[in-house]
Amino acid sequence: MNLQIGLVALDILSSWIRMILALGLSILFALAVGIWAARSSRAEAIILPLLDIFQSIPILGFFPFVIAGIYGAIPNFVGANLAVIVLIFTSMSWNIAFGVYEAVKAIPQDYIDLLSVTKASAWQRIKSLYIPASMSRIAYNTQISWAVGLFFLVASEIISIGQGAKTNQIPIPYGIGVGATNFPAGGDYADYALLIAGIVVAVIVWRYLFLRAFALWSEKFKMMEEPREQHKDPITRFYSYVNHRAVSKLFLIAHDVGVSRFTSTISRFRKGLKYAVLIFFLLFGLLLFSSVLHSGGISLGRLPSVSQLASVEAGVLYALAVSFVRVWYVYAICVVIGLPLGIVISLNFKLYDTVSPILEVISSIPAPILLPAIVLVPILGQSSEAVAAIVIILAIIWYIVFNVMAGVRTLPADMKDLPHVFHVSRWAAWRNVYLPGALTGFVTGSITAIGGAWNALIIAEYFTETLPKGNTVLLTQVGNGIGKTIVIATNNADYLTLTLAVLSMTALIVSFNLIVWRRLYHHVTQRYTYNR
Amino acid sequence: MSQSQPEIAAGTTIVTVDHVRLDYHKEKEPLPVLVDVSMKAASDELVAITGPSGCGKSTLLRIIAGLIKPTAGSVQVLDSEVNGPRDDISMVFQNFVLLPWRTALENVVFGLTSRSDLTEERKITKAENALEIAGLSGFESVYPGELSGGMKQRVGVARALATDPMVMLLDEPFSSLDDLTAERLRKETYTLLISPQTSVKSVILVSHNVEEIIELADRVVVLSSRPAHVVGELRVDLPRPRNKKSDEFFQWVDRVYSLLS
Repeated sequence: MNLQIGLVALDILSSWIRMILALGLSILFALAVGIWAARSSRAEAIILPLLDIFQSIPILGFFPFVIAGIYGAIPNFVGANLAVIVLIFTSMSWNIAFGVYEAVKAIPQDYIDLLSVTKASAWQRIKSLYIPASMSRIAYNTQISWAVGLFFLVASEIISIGQGAKTNQIPIPYGIGVGATNFPAGGDYADYALLIAGIVVAVIVWRYLFLRAFALWSEKFKMMEEPREQHKDPITRFYSYVNHRAVSKLFLIAHDVGVSRFTSTISRFRKGLKYAVLIFFLLFGLLLFSSVLHSGGISLGRLPSVSQLASVEAGVLYALAVSFVRVWYVYAICVVIGLPLGIVISLNFKLYDTVSPILEVISSIPAPILLPAIVLVPILGQSSEAVAAIVIILAIIWYIVFNVMAGVRTLPADMKDLPHVFHVSRWAAWRNVYLPGALTGFVTGSITAIGGAWNALIIAEYFTETLPKGNTVLLTQVGNGIGKTIVIATNNADYLTLTLAVLSMTALIVSFNLIVWRRLYHHVTQRYTYNR
Repeated sequence: MSQSQPEIAAGTTIVTVDHVRLDYHKEKEPLPVLVDVSMKAASDELVAITGPSGCGKSTLLRIIAGLIKPTAGSVQVLDSEVNGPRDDISMVFQNFVLLPWRTALENVVFGLTSRSDLTEERKITKAENALEIAGLSGFESVYPGELSGGMKQRVGVARALATDPMVMLLDEPFSSLDDLTAERLRKETYTLLISPQTSVKSVILVSHNVEEIIELADRVVVLSSRPAHVVGELRVDLPRPRNKKSDEFFQWVDRVYSLLS
């Protein structure tokens, strides 16, 4: 057996280059947008809601438009790579931009006065104050963005292959997502295993060589007032990110009470929201127009009839309902496993120290690359429903585990002693102390997990492998589902179905966030957060 | 509210800390935290433990509470060895440690969770009584988030009292309160704990506030910095109520400071 070590290395290298380019782009974007929003209240009013919309929607659903738009305009290697990089960028940049915004907002007025006194120019202010002040937040949010970005990298590489298969040319010849579909398709499981091992090594090496080094280096830019031990505990770090970022500010609208820190922002946020929605739909319209134009299909004379719209939408809604049920039963499985696991791990210091780095590495392996392996599992692999469920579980359970862990860890040590002092039974301690103590983390984790599940559906519900000759082999498909609908519509360049599917899914997620999660989140953070 | 307990004559030794040693194990190298610590607390006595910050005084308190097992030595309450948390020892924490998702009353009831000998109604009555003597009647259904720091600590005291403990352990109970609140709560807590109204026989207080110690303690045990051992033990025989402005008071304060440095 000949292992194609060179090819595997090339796959990993190509993917990493895309990731690094996307990260660089994200940081530049975050600096520009974050500083602008922080220093201009007019920009703030539009930029903040816009960032929030982008982080609340299932980005992956929009990818078919991005690839059709960009690859349509530049139908070669460059265009395909650009599309992938843009998608990674859209998964990475919002969170870094929020970080820059908050860092610049948090600069003490004295520093800004100092620069005014010295009559510094705008560029001097940016260079000597805003950028350095943002550095530690950029480094810190980059660690999160990287893990999220890897998932989107693999997903977008896989979808891109499907795109190219129609024309018998693969626009993206190398990448971990490419390898993960091509190796198993050709029966080359040895190289597939090597690739997965390679990714694990790459994730670990990258974490220490770059992410950690970047974070440590950025410490020297910290303002004196900030605590310096932020980087010590990765889980708590993760949590404080999720707590502030993943929970959409949309939650806070119409609920001026609570979180006073954001209150001043919220009123402006609300004012700018309609413009932000407008800009969002303009961008989407542009993308849609560009993709339809390049697919060469539709002229204005052939707009769909109302009955056609209704019948497509009916199909879409049915698929959406099926996926909705899927998302929730998979989420329920994750809760049953993840909630007790998170609590048990964080109550035991030794267990926490040994297990948490292992969990971190496992969690940063992008779930979609494991799909071809899951299909091989006896019995389970035969059921497309089980395969989809496992892929989604692997993609989202970490949000619950890590948030619960961090939530329990933020309980004061005395709180963990409390059940012992009053030697309360184990069950009573869980019911009265640990479970309620984990609740805030659990809810924020759940919001993120459900959001992640909708993205993961697009890979998990329908998966084709591409043979080296360009033919595709269907590996797994569920009976029905919105992810399946989106991928099939993408492959058939069926923009009507695609548009309705993506918009319906987005509408469902956004309204569910506003109606259910927001209330729950408010209730829980007000009663179940521990602050003395 | 005290239940029938054996009569204990004044001056009987209630708590005995007998040659306690504690090592932490870091990379297999034992790191001594407490070395050969012995002390006693008699009935109707408030003993204060003090020492430089980080010396392990709170750790010692947790050993007495049975939360941490000492590497060597033992702790006895009356004649029985402390092998783990027990009903007749209770504790008040520095940061109150109230469950934010429970009302004041429910927090006190939580302290009685393990008491299978009490019915639910009995637990609630006991908790209400405890809140009342801690000065919190009328606040039963209020959540901790809506209480001031001083009131939170009153809930903490009520929770500890409700279990009818013989030994009450106070871990820096006033140090996260503002000066005025601390001053008031300090006086009230002392009067409450030492009074025959409660089941408490001995109080052990951990504090780094020397004036607080001289105001409250009958005896002071001073620990050294790590690894901690007892560097001195003083019997504070100032008459009560103690005048914090008197020269004698300051002489006692100085005496403890000189042991500390």
